Amino acid sequence: MASSSSSTTERRGIPGAQFVQDVETYLTQSGLDVNSALSFLQERLQQYKLVEMKLLAQQRDLQAKIPDIEKCLDVVGTLQAKKGTGEALITDFEVSEGIYSRAHIEDADSVCLWLGANVMLEYSCEEATALLQKNLDNAKASLEVLVADLQFLRDQVTITQVTIARVYNWDVHQRRMRQASSTSTDS
Amino acid sequence: MQQGGGSETEVTWEDQQNINKFGRLNNRFHELEDEIKIAKETNENLEDASNELILADEEVVRFQIGEVFAHVPKEEVETRIEQMKEVTSKNLEKLEEEKDSVLAQMAELKKILYGKFGDSINLEED
Repeated sequence: MASSSSSTTERRGIPGAQFVQDVETYLTQSGLDVNSALSFLQERLQQYKLVEMKLLAQQRDLQAKIPDIEKCLDVVGTLQAKKGTGEALITDFEVSEGIYSRAHIEDADSVCLWLGANVMLEYSCEEATALLQKNLDNAKASLEVLVADLQFLRDQVTITQVTIARVYNWDVHQRRMRQASSTSTDS
Repeated sequence: MQQGGGSETEVTWEDQQNINKFGRLNNRFHELEDEIKIAKETNENLEDASNELILADEEVVRFQIGEVFAHVPKEEVETRIEQMKEVTSKNLEKLEEEKDSVLAQMAELKKILYGKFGDSINLEED
């Protein structure tokens, strides 16, 4: 158990928090007094919080991206389903905010996908579905990794918080003992 | 997860791991609550939509796919909404199950941690 406690690995650039087995040994080993140890830990905590905010923003982006891709897949799927039935797909679409127009889409073989960076490319429906599906899978995989990163980060935050509380308590305890011994020698 | 009081109780790596686990579960619990809320709303919206559909006279209704409103026969929309309802209800069920299991695990950890640290540890929400 003791050996695993010191295995403070890092994950994607996030340094692991060191678990302190014994506060006194920790302080002597690191050569820090209580105040500098506390300020070091506080600083660490702030850095963790900063990374957490960054990761949360990334998570929100991905969580918004996934339904978008799913919508696209839905539309391409609808077009494909209509193909070959001889019926046109009639849709009302938004031309500008609050203004709608009607479109008849007959046997659509291809769709244009916006790739970003001012590039749009025409794909056959099958290719578009495959590409979108790949994007969707990638987004989901990235989200999974991100969630694992966040969990790791939160563990480090918890460890640091607990360590701060323990160093603080140890200090209070130490002071009390000193006070008790000095009053007992005085009397 | 603030600790107060004396430093007499030694905190072991095992305790720390339990605290970490509790923290994780607590986070997941809040996420689940949000997800359940969203799933319930979606379910209600679909319910409303199918009720409105029953009352509608039109044979062809506009059904939103992606960003556009497609003209789709009423019966087809009905089946699609039914399918969507099924998916969301299953999802909701899964989330509720996970929530129950998270809560059970949290209760178990609370027992262990309160058993060891007593008043020195606080695992309740503010």
